[in-house]
Amino acid sequence: MPKWNDLQGRSFLESNARDRAVGLVDEGTFTELAGPFDRFYSPHLETLGEAVEFDDGIVTGVGRVGVTPVFVISQEGKFIGGSVGEVGGAKMVNAIRLAIEFHDTLAAAHPDLTDAEKPIVVISFETGGVRLHESNAGLLAHAEVMDQLQKARGKVPVIAVIGSKVGCFGGMGFVAAATDCIVMSEFGRLGLTGPEVIEQEMGKEEFDSGDRALVFRTTGGKHKYIVGDCNYLVADTLGAFHDQIAELATKSLADFEAMRRIGSPEKVAQQLRGVALAAEMQPKDARDVWAHAGNADPVALTDMPLPDFLAQVKRLSV
Amino acid sequence: MSDRTSEKAWNHRSADTAERMASAARFIGPGKVVKADDTVALLEAVIRAGDRVNIEGNNQKQADFLAESLNKVDKSKIHDLHMVQSAVPLPVHLDLFENGIAKKLDFAFGGPQAGRVAQFIREGKLQLGAIHTYLELFGRYFLDLTPKVSLICAYKADRQGNLYTGFNTEDTPTIVEATKFRQGIVIAQVNEIVDTLPRVDIPADWIDAVIESPKPFFLEPLFTRDPALVTDSQILLGMLCLKGIYGEYGVQRINHGIGFLTSAIELLLPTYGEELGLKGKTCSHMILNPHPTMIPAIESGWVDTIHCFGGELGMEEYVRARPDVFFTGPDGSLRSNRAFAQTAGHYALDMFIGGTLQIDKFGNSSTATASRVAGFGGAPNMGCDAKGRRHSTDSWLKCGQEQPTLNRVLGDMPRGKRLVVQGVETFGEGRAPVFVDKLDAWELAENAGLDLPPVMIYGDDLTHVVTEEGIAYLNRCADIEARMAAIRAVAGYTEIGLAAKPEETRALRDAGIVKTPEDLGVDRDRARRDLLAAKSVRDLVTWSGGLYNPPARFRNW
Repeated sequence: MPKWNDLQGRSFLESNARDRAVGLVDEGTFTELAGPFDRFYSPHLETLGEAVEFDDGIVTGVGRVGVTPVFVISQEGKFIGGSVGEVGGAKMVNAIRLAIEFHDTLAAAHPDLTDAEKPIVVISFETGGVRLHESNAGLLAHAEVMDQLQKARGKVPVIAVIGSKVGCFGGMGFVAAATDCIVMSEFGRLGLTGPEVIEQEMGKEEFDSGDRALVFRTTGGKHKYIVGDCNYLVADTLGAFHDQIAELATKSLADFEAMRRIGSPEKVAQQLRGVALAAEMQPKDARDVWAHAGNADPVALTDMPLPDFLAQVKRLSV
Repeated sequence: MSDRTSEKAWNHRSADTAERMASAARFIGPGKVVKADDTVALLEAVIRAGDRVNIEGNNQKQADFLAESLNKVDKSKIHDLHMVQSAVPLPVHLDLFENGIAKKLDFAFGGPQAGRVAQFIREGKLQLGAIHTYLELFGRYFLDLTPKVSLICAYKADRQGNLYTGFNTEDTPTIVEATKFRQGIVIAQVNEIVDTLPRVDIPADWIDAVIESPKPFFLEPLFTRDPALVTDSQILLGMLCLKGIYGEYGVQRINHGIGFLTSAIELLLPTYGEELGLKGKTCSHMILNPHPTMIPAIESGWVDTIHCFGGELGMEEYVRARPDVFFTGPDGSLRSNRAFAQTAGHYALDMFIGGTLQIDKFGNSSTATASRVAGFGGAPNMGCDAKGRRHSTDSWLKCGQEQPTLNRVLGDMPRGKRLVVQGVETFGEGRAPVFVDKLDAWELAENAGLDLPPVMIYGDDLTHVVTEEGIAYLNRCADIEARMAAIRAVAGYTEIGLAAKPEETRALRDAGIVKTPEDLGVDRDRARRDLLAAKSVRDLVTWSGGLYNPPARFRNW
């Protein structure tokens, strides 16, 4: 196991699920729950004769950031593309359920808890969504995670962190969208239909998934930050993500409610204004939208170092 | 006497060219411009059956439009061409043989078409002259393989027909010089015709026709290695190389082959290299394409000079902004030149380091496989000891003087030797063993009817082998038995490596002929990606201050 201090400087993009889980909370505080020694692995993969992993590609556990209890879920893209099946899904569901139950127990015993002392959930996404090998069980797992997010709403803030190789796509793109706050790096990608699937369904003319610059311009962290699909854009180190979580951990439930992008009539109205704008603009490229947001030189934004980008960029308001 | 000279004509070649150009005159407008639609007709007018023809097929830029046009000529008139060109990487280069337009091929590098070259030889569609090194082939352009017609490639022409080949000048000057000064015909495809060129690379009176190609020539970023794909194992090898070879010999003048090991080394210079105190003592003069992974070392002040065989997509502005390091023209853009870079590579380098697919038990290495005639481009020129070398450097002299048997061939005469290093993981692509009893090149020689098995680097030129097991200093071996034992000692768990005898390896280590990472004081635990100066293409952009503009396929932000 690498030292926590070494992890803080490590690239988030290059870190595996377990290193992320350990590094996103404070030093020495992470305890893994339902870890590989418990051998909760996929019965479906076993039936199909496919290789299994004893954590089913998802690390779950609990740690602390400052005085805040943090329930961590971290997906591993190297195992079947981070796909979520029955067992991995159940681990996600139960990690969130534990956070809610812990919140309720704690709040009942200590009515004077500060915001910082209440638990939060952090999900480090690296996934293309449903594990197709598990079909309905995988889909159901997604629905159950969504259900837990609704139950956590107004009690336990859920933070999505996205900056790993696979990005966050498919059904898990919906799950991420339903969290309270999304933190990304410029290497993170967030979307529903993955680039390869769009190309396959709509053709190369519509979307060339081999054009990585285009893919990132359309689904990457900088674009998501500009259009408001993510709340914070941070540097590509575990330390930067950790520090962002630490800052968020002290925020109130009202702050988190304000950060949501969906989930109330006002938010829905705002989303619909975005849709109307897209219909009116018919943008040919993400850069058209960046320009519309008030960025005079959208081309320069892509290669701009992060601090300069954050200082200069204009975000879309609708 | 005067009778005889007046009887014999000495201008057959120019007269023949004049006759061909006369029949092509109707297609050639002012400024030597030919309409793209007339290209096939132009080629039919100037090329005759059996001609020796060069299609500029570089490592990088390709005269692709002219190649496609040549493939459309009437083959009842034009056939049995003898193609002489560096590389045949495009499908259309081989289509010429399929379609009966060309018959014979002399080349240096097959690239993606290597499989078809082998197949066509077997099927009798292609007569192979020889697989050369670049310098060998360029040499023969001026001896016995001079092209009659050359179809070349440039970025821009002006209204007079002057050419700008710029960043990717590569082979063009060599081809044009050989063709034009032997009264041949030179036809150029250009991306655009402009009023004023940034600079003139090829003067108009060496060019017979200029065609604006319907689309820009094909160019591939062949030399970009994404730092994100460098593995810990390659980093270990890089550390061994830096400490046990670069530092040990103080090698200043180097060519890096393309591959992830050399990328790892480039990315370790500002970190591990700096820590070893090697800055200023090694890597000051390089013959290299503008590898993006060199950016951190250049920015950290390691490099004095880089001369380039060709260009690399995305590096244009970075190179332009670093004229102290690169060879640039009065306009500021890079001028690459494969012939000169290879000449420097053959004679003036102290070290070549690269990888390979196979090394046999004697130390011969090759990237040839049983069914592909690929050739090796320039690697053999740099991966050999140039016997004609007469100037001395410390590392060259040290490497030579370490040979225990030098006195048996030269008496007391001092002589140096080029360091030729192969760095490989004992199991390579597809987990295939790199160390083998017999090279696949032998099988290829049989399959394709070659006189010689294609060997990239001969065992007697190879001075060092580096693997995750350590370094074999083959130049310190007295005879072939000792060399074989040293190779076995670093061949790991391959069949060759398993034949190593522990007591023999122990003796080689005591003699300093084999050094393990521990012998060298290299800590295996430190061989991690954290040690790289740049871990991603994004980091390279940052190092370059935004001057490096990577191609779309390398962008993940």
